[in-house]
Amino acid sequence: MLDTLTPGTDESGQARRVYYRVVYAIFAIAIVGLLAGMVTGRELLGTIIYCGGAWIGSGITFLAPKLTDVPLQDERDTELYNRASGLTLGVLFVLGLSVIPAIYVLEAAGRIDPPPEVTGAILLASGLFLLWGVAYGIVKRR
Amino acid sequence: MENDLPRRREAEGLSQGELAEVVGVTRQTINAIERDRYDPSLDLAFKLAAHFECHIEDIFQPEETD
Repeated sequence: MLDTLTPGTDESGQARRVYYRVVYAIFAIAIVGLLAGMVTGRELLGTIIYCGGAWIGSGITFLAPKLTDVPLQDERDTELYNRASGLTLGVLFVLGLSVIPAIYVLEAAGRIDPPPEVTGAILLASGLFLLWGVAYGIVKRR
Repeated sequence: MENDLPRRREAEGLSQGELAEVVGVTRQTINAIERDRYDPSLDLAFKLAAHFECHIEDIFQPEETD
């Protein structure tokens, strides 16, 4: 019995569904627009569509919960996001810790010559961890 | 954390969605609490206790360990 959701009143549920559908649709259009631009050789148009979608979608995600009394996101959503983010960072951290020093050592020893993509990925991961550290420090002090 | 939220909710004839609206969360959150898949914040626990006019520990009990 408890495994099923009981039907609600359900204006807030409807609003929540519409909210998520709109946000997901905007991001989907943005990504499809970017890919279509790359495939058809209209990179600038694709980029404009992507940037527009990303900004509009992010704006709605940021503003909508503040502009309505309907709980579009609640404490459980926040906890799920936090757990998923923690898991993602944990996986990245373990992978980074096990791979990055080895790449540095092997490169210094002249055993490997990592392609620019690997160097870029290492820099990206390092930047991500740095950003996380700064964000953690800010959140901890507020 | 164990709870008797379903019994209290059904005794009042409320759906999960209606109770969710009363305490300001989503229906999915009430469902997750009832299935022991989510422990509510203290704030939400107080709101639920206030709604059912009881103490938090009347609704929620720590799981017994051996």
